[in-house]
Amino acid sequence: MSSGEPSHRWIRLIEPACTSCMICARECPTWCINIDSHTEPVEGPAPGSRGRTQHVLDSFAIDWSLCMYCGICVEECPFDALEWVSDASPSGSSPSALVEEMVQPQSN
Amino acid sequence: MNEVAPEGWLAAVEKLKADGFAYFDWLGCVDEIGRLDCFRVVLVVRNLAQGAEARMLSCLLPRDDPRIDTVGGVFAGAAWHEREAAELFGVEFIGGERRRLLLSPDFEGTPLRKDEVLAARTGMNWPGAKEPGESEFSPSRRRLVPPGVPDPAVWGDRDESLTSPEPTEVVESAVGGRPRRRRT
Repeated sequence: MSSGEPSHRWIRLIEPACTSCMICARECPTWCINIDSHTEPVEGPAPGSRGRTQHVLDSFAIDWSLCMYCGICVEECPFDALEWVSDASPSGSSPSALVEEMVQPQSN
Repeated sequence: MNEVAPEGWLAAVEKLKADGFAYFDWLGCVDEIGRLDCFRVVLVVRNLAQGAEARMLSCLLPRDDPRIDTVGGVFAGAAWHEREAAELFGVEFIGGERRRLLLSPDFEGTPLRKDEVLAARTGMNWPGAKEPGESEFSPSRRRLVPPGVPDPAVWGDRDESLTSPEPTEVVESAVGGRPRRRRT
């Protein structure tokens, strides 16, 4: 948290840190976080070892019309994948426009 | 914390005021369901002449008939707190102000009683019900239920041949997590 700056304004996902563990979505008192993920095999396991899978985040959406900026998700995330930032959360003309997708689309 | 009987509530508050605890701090209510079949009304007064020393009084009221004397005549400011407790917990303050403070006049229910079910939520998909690696709600799994929403087997999808659930049963099933398989 930077000193002196108003930083309690908007919550941002640090995508590489997120393991889609669902803890934030379960802790959220307003049910505003919606996560979609799938399971993929881990590439290139050592020869002879058992195949492993990992969760891959497809979608992480916060509904700003529901969020009450309590910060419980930021506190609870065990991987520090959510953080406060000092930008204002996005505005919109309808409740559905306030649902913000935080996973950046992959270019490949 | 001093516990007094409902009959002695008003006298105990008057005595505290006479003893110098003349600053009313707050009055609140606690739903003790699961521990006691009671509501607990709590009052805190302070003595500003002696470093704001505090005294806490509490009083247990039976859940089926929660009535207590108003202390609005001793501390006028307590009337606000009593109106709040009255509408949120359904406690009657005998002789107190009966107007609503926060809820709209046509609202029915007592929102801070722990057996009050958030009915709208029982019909919604909880985002946390998905497991990591899932994108869709799978109904077949042993589902997680969100905190505050009772186990559907107790409230909602309850077997109609059973009697309606006891308030304690509703509260105990609404703590969230995976509902345990119910013993019959």
